[in-house]
Amino acid sequence: MGEELKVIVFALGQEEYGIEVDKVRTIERMQPITRVPKTPTFIKGVINLRGIVIPVLDLRGRFGLNETEPTENSRIIIVAANEMEVGFIVDSANDVIDIDSDTIDSPPEVVGGIQAKYLQGIAKIGDKRLLVMLNLSEVLNKNEIMQLEQLEV
Amino acid sequence: MDMNAYLSMFIDESNDHLQALNENLLKLENDPQDLSIVQVIFRSAHTLKGMSATMGFEDLASLTHEMENVLDLVRNSKLSMDSFIFDTLFKGLDALEAMVQDVVEGGTGKADVSALIVSLQSIVKGDYKTNASAAPSAAANAAEGNLSSGNELLDIFQLSVLKQSIEAGSKAYYIKVTLREDCVLKAVRAYMVFDVLERNGEVIKSDPSVQDIEQDKFDRSFIVFLISSSDQQALKDGIESVSEVELAEVVLLDAESIQLYGPQNEQSPAPKAAAPSAVPQPQQEAKQQVAAAKAQTAAAATAPVNRTIRVDIDRLDSLMNLFSELLIDRVRLEQLSSEIKRGDLSETVEHMARVSTDLQDIVLKLRMVPVESVFNRFPRMVRDIAKNLDKKIDLVITGAETELDRTVIDEIGDPLVHLLRNSLDHGVEMPADRIAAGKSDTGTVHLRAFHSGNHVFIEVEDDGNGIDAAKVSRIAIKNGVLTEEEAKKLSEEQLQMLIFAPGFSTADKISDLSGRGVGLDVVKSKITSLGGHVSIRSKLGQGTIFSIQLPLTLSIIAAMLIKMGDEKYAIPLSSIVETGIIQRDKIATVHGNQMIEFRGSVIPVVSLSRVLDVESFNEDDEQETEIVVIRKGDKLAALMIDSFIGQSEIVLKSLGKYLPAVKAISGATILGDGQVALIIDPNAFIK
Repeated sequence: MGEELKVIVFALGQEEYGIEVDKVRTIERMQPITRVPKTPTFIKGVINLRGIVIPVLDLRGRFGLNETEPTENSRIIIVAANEMEVGFIVDSANDVIDIDSDTIDSPPEVVGGIQAKYLQGIAKIGDKRLLVMLNLSEVLNKNEIMQLEQLEV
Repeated sequence: MDMNAYLSMFIDESNDHLQALNENLLKLENDPQDLSIVQVIFRSAHTLKGMSATMGFEDLASLTHEMENVLDLVRNSKLSMDSFIFDTLFKGLDALEAMVQDVVEGGTGKADVSALIVSLQSIVKGDYKTNASAAPSAAANAAEGNLSSGNELLDIFQLSVLKQSIEAGSKAYYIKVTLREDCVLKAVRAYMVFDVLERNGEVIKSDPSVQDIEQDKFDRSFIVFLISSSDQQALKDGIESVSEVELAEVVLLDAESIQLYGPQNEQSPAPKAAAPSAVPQPQQEAKQQVAAAKAQTAAAATAPVNRTIRVDIDRLDSLMNLFSELLIDRVRLEQLSSEIKRGDLSETVEHMARVSTDLQDIVLKLRMVPVESVFNRFPRMVRDIAKNLDKKIDLVITGAETELDRTVIDEIGDPLVHLLRNSLDHGVEMPADRIAAGKSDTGTVHLRAFHSGNHVFIEVEDDGNGIDAAKVSRIAIKNGVLTEEEAKKLSEEQLQMLIFAPGFSTADKISDLSGRGVGLDVVKSKITSLGGHVSIRSKLGQGTIFSIQLPLTLSIIAAMLIKMGDEKYAIPLSSIVETGIIQRDKIATVHGNQMIEFRGSVIPVVSLSRVLDVESFNEDDEQETEIVVIRKGDKLAALMIDSFIGQSEIVLKSLGKYLPAVKAISGATILGDGQVALIIDPNAFIK
């Protein structure tokens, strides 16, 4: 029996993903986002979260998946990592579960089109449910934005 | 009794008093005849003494006590200020500051002040000018000490003061105050009694001495001789209103009864007789002045000066964030009330809106501190350095009211000290050299602060010799900072910037002020770490301007809100020259750049929608376009925009660490409706 982890579960398309609860500040409904020019397309802009300006990115776009129009279920998950606060737009977020760290396996090369370096592992819940754990510090890697920027220019 | 609870209060107040002492001493130095300043100084010193004695910082108290003695003579016109006295007092202040600093850092506030005390005492005795006569007068003083320690409470001098004032129509009192047996803080109560007495008149003598009383070195009672215009009963009531005072015995004295307390043997020694007889004449005038000053003081005392408390910055941050949330709710409430349309509801919401607007103003301004709090220590510093260097220097401070974020204020002090020292030491020449160069012998150093764009500028300007670019490059080559080849390619301005290189010094010899080659590079790295920028403008023979540009992180600026399609942006008002409308066909193309004629000159026109990739607005669809003319230095440019929303005070917020720096955007702000608007950096449009 390994450590017990509390995880926020959210969905992108058909897959379910998890972020450790202590990395998540809050989960917000969709709200108007102010576009910031000259940034990669997956950066949707900035929002006002109780007086703090927080950049928001579309997690689908970040992973190179097709971006979709936000729906009633879309949520912005505000995470804090690497001394930054960033919002992720996800298709839905509605569950908090406990998982055993022993059940997390190392990820395969590609899951649903997402490169392995963004992933921490895959947790098995029950019989069929699989939860993809995100590697936040890699998702928020700033150097990568710089490179993306150079590609776009 | 736990004094720790009072320690922070003591530190805050001591610092305030020290600052006041410093400022007022400087004022007095410029106008030594103004006795009202001496009064203010005396009060500060006295309060400081009382506080430190109560807190048990004896060295602080004894040094202040000696300084107070000197000041007392001055305010009673028994001593006129001269440069020796000023220097000694300033040194005393430095020692006090050092001791308070020690207390701040958790020390005991102890220091060896005996040398200072001796020189202060020699001023009081008046023998600092003539060392030859030091011995006899010291002996006389000793004799005096012997006398007063006997039965007689008053020496011949105090006696004559009392007599004089009785003749002049004032009343003299003998007051014996007895404290209750269970009184815990005797010194504090005694201090409060003295406070009452000094508001009512002038204390001529106390037994035991004020110093001993404040150090708790007395039993339960003490005796005071007071000159006052108040009547007996009022004084008694006043004293007895202080808590834990058991009894106040107030006796009115007349010319005869005073004799009882004076020295019984009137055979005063010859050298002493000379002193009192010289005093009485000016004494009379001084009394009147003192009385006038007292009246002023009383008026001032009712209006408390700058009452402040200190608050943790984090709390202010969370206050501001909470307030932003409140704003969003306010806008929603306003929407709801306009939908529901109920009279009393919309009235309440309107009132709330007004209150929250006021609240916003206050909350936003809380974090801002005028640079004055940094600048006000410089006059003193410049005075000392100028004296040290034998130069004559005027420091002119402008824009001290310019506000900067607290965090920046805390960091900016040291770099400014370096720059000022540099200007004083290397910039301003010796008086003889200045005259030879056809300048006045007094150098002028300007220290100014002002807002411009999203920045606060702080400039240190001297009218000294300027920077010799050729000399700088020679030394740079010699020190291996750059090669001869490289030096040739650099502009004069770039060469001058070399003085910020680590280890660089143009001074021919090392002084204890500067010239060791540490300093300017530290200044540069500090400013850079604050997100700022240093530049130099210098003309050989005419002077140098060091200009520090600081960002206004988290500060409030006035801005013009504009619309670009369905997006909103803010442009800092300080860089807007004017706004207007132009006809599209007036735009000419020069070398592929769009230009218009504006007030007699041709300036570039920039399409903001193209720079910001705005899709919902394109000025090409319009016949006429609104423009904003912006300025950077003396260069202008026009931005084409969609429409104006209006002017507003906005709070600068950073875009966070995640986003890369975006060209033409300097930050973000949160509008009244809770939406984020980006702030345009006008400097990016002008090269």
